[in-house]
Amino acid sequence: MTAETLIQVLASGVATGCVYGLVALSFVLIYKATGAVSFMQGELLMLGAFVVLALHEAAGLPLAAAVVLGIAALAAFGALLERTVLRRTLGPAHLTALLLTFGLGMVMRGTVGAVPAASHAMHRLPLPFAGESVQWGGVALAAEHLAVIAATGLLAGALTLFFRRTRAGLALRACSENSDIAALMGVSVAGMHTLAWSLGAGLAAVAGVLLAPVTFVHPNMGLVALKAFPAAVLGGMASLPGALAGGVFLGVVEALAGLVLPEGAKDVVPYLLMMAVLLLFPGGFAAGLRGRP
Amino acid sequence: MTALAALALWGLGVDYALAQAAFVATWAIAGLGVVLIVGQCGQVSLGQGALLGLGAYAQAVLALRGVPAPLSLPLALALGAAGGWLASLPARRLGGLYFAMSTLAFALVVEEALVRWESLTRGAAGLAVPPLMLGGWVADTSLAQALVACVALGLAWLACRRWLASRLGRAWRAVREDEIAAAAAGIDVARAKTLAFVLGGGLSGLAGALYAHWIGFVSPEQFGLMLSFELLMLAFIGGARHLSGALWGALVVVALPQGVSLAVEHLPAGLAGAAGIETALFGAVLVVLVLLRPGGLVGSR
Repeated sequence: MTAETLIQVLASGVATGCVYGLVALSFVLIYKATGAVSFMQGELLMLGAFVVLALHEAAGLPLAAAVVLGIAALAAFGALLERTVLRRTLGPAHLTALLLTFGLGMVMRGTVGAVPAASHAMHRLPLPFAGESVQWGGVALAAEHLAVIAATGLLAGALTLFFRRTRAGLALRACSENSDIAALMGVSVAGMHTLAWSLGAGLAAVAGVLLAPVTFVHPNMGLVALKAFPAAVLGGMASLPGALAGGVFLGVVEALAGLVLPEGAKDVVPYLLMMAVLLLFPGGFAAGLRGRP
Repeated sequence: MTALAALALWGLGVDYALAQAAFVATWAIAGLGVVLIVGQCGQVSLGQGALLGLGAYAQAVLALRGVPAPLSLPLALALGAAGGWLASLPARRLGGLYFAMSTLAFALVVEEALVRWESLTRGAAGLAVPPLMLGGWVADTSLAQALVACVALGLAWLACRRWLASRLGRAWRAVREDEIAAAAAGIDVARAKTLAFVLGGGLSGLAGALYAHWIGFVSPEQFGLMLSFELLMLAFIGGARHLSGALWGALVVVALPQGVSLAVEHLPAGLAGAAGIETALFGAVLVVLVLLRPGGLVGSR
């Protein structure tokens, strides 16, 4: 194996890992702020990709507008779901939220699958950079991988600014740390829950748009979100940067495993890693390094 | 209830009803396992489907090699119990979501292993399972299957009642209500959780073994994450706090897909052919039930 192939494999691993990381980020964001475990992030991802596709191909909007509008629509949809359904599960019973989000995910997957135009034909989002490659010395990097990495970097920067520089970001952080004290300081906890679900849905939609040039857009593309759980556990479950880092790490490990391990082993590696981490560092890597449980 | 049963008998025939009864009793055994882990001990398990798969594959492989049922059924049960122990191992010291994650990982690893270990499981092609043989008696009619399933359910039920009434059952409920208080009261929390997973896993293994015989064919995708969720739904819909919740939940879970496909037939022609409608309706029923009966059908709350 030459150094060039290694770099190419690493780049594709980082790009897939960014998608895992974004979904893990949305999962952790919701978990931290509301204590609920969302099993519909994959379906939100899929729905986001389909909404953008529909806006672009069926409604004829230019691609950039379709992307922005689609992500905004998913964020609004997340807020709507929180206001109407998920709000009723507040409290420590995460099993209720888990089953509810799973049921809602089934409804979304089934509904999209029931639309003949969506399930009977293969779709790709015609993003401008798809299929091209960037030559750099002897290394050919796929443009969509670079675009995914760049977009994830930008998004991480934007989220950092949101959490550090805005009142809403501060309130959301306060609510995640301790919702009782946040409420006493005048933060609307219910409002923050809506915001968290809305942001979570929006992030999942972004991941869907980024994944669209890499895989086809189809009703089961949300399965990729199953990799978000090991990513979140690797990152310590309660840390937003950790979730993103966990996702990227997982993507790279998976790409390398595909290179050296026999076929099929690649898909199990994230889960074996997750079990090992739970066994050795019960609080995730970050907490293990800091030496607290 | 009896009216409903009579209607089912009249409409669908005795044989069909008995076959369905065998499935309901088998799912109820698996449901008892979930009730122990989720309802009594308060732990979230997302790997129940894989434990069922372990039991089903153990039974299928042993039956194909001519091992008699009195030997293979306990082995399938033991494999399910061992799987439960293994799945709960990484998260012993933590509860809640970490348990859920480790059981989820376990389920996905088991599913992949069943696909890849082709020399034993024939991979995705699956295995045909011969009917259950007890001594010289072959359970190849619906009546015999329903009988075996009901006897197994009865035994499992008695065992569960004993466990719930014992020290262990009290320890589980204490762990469910408050782990820290339970530990302060001298309960070995990790041991209580592990035992819940071992016993619940054993019940799942038994249910899987019976299911493999009734359905006559096992393949890895039957035992994926979807089944784990279905079992969780089963316990939750029936009411995870009570043993009888497992039976009610099993009834709903066996009847629901058939009700849904009946309903789909009555939809306008344009909608009925679409593949996703059944999934969507199933999900919608789950959401409505969870919202309207948060304590399950038999729950008081």
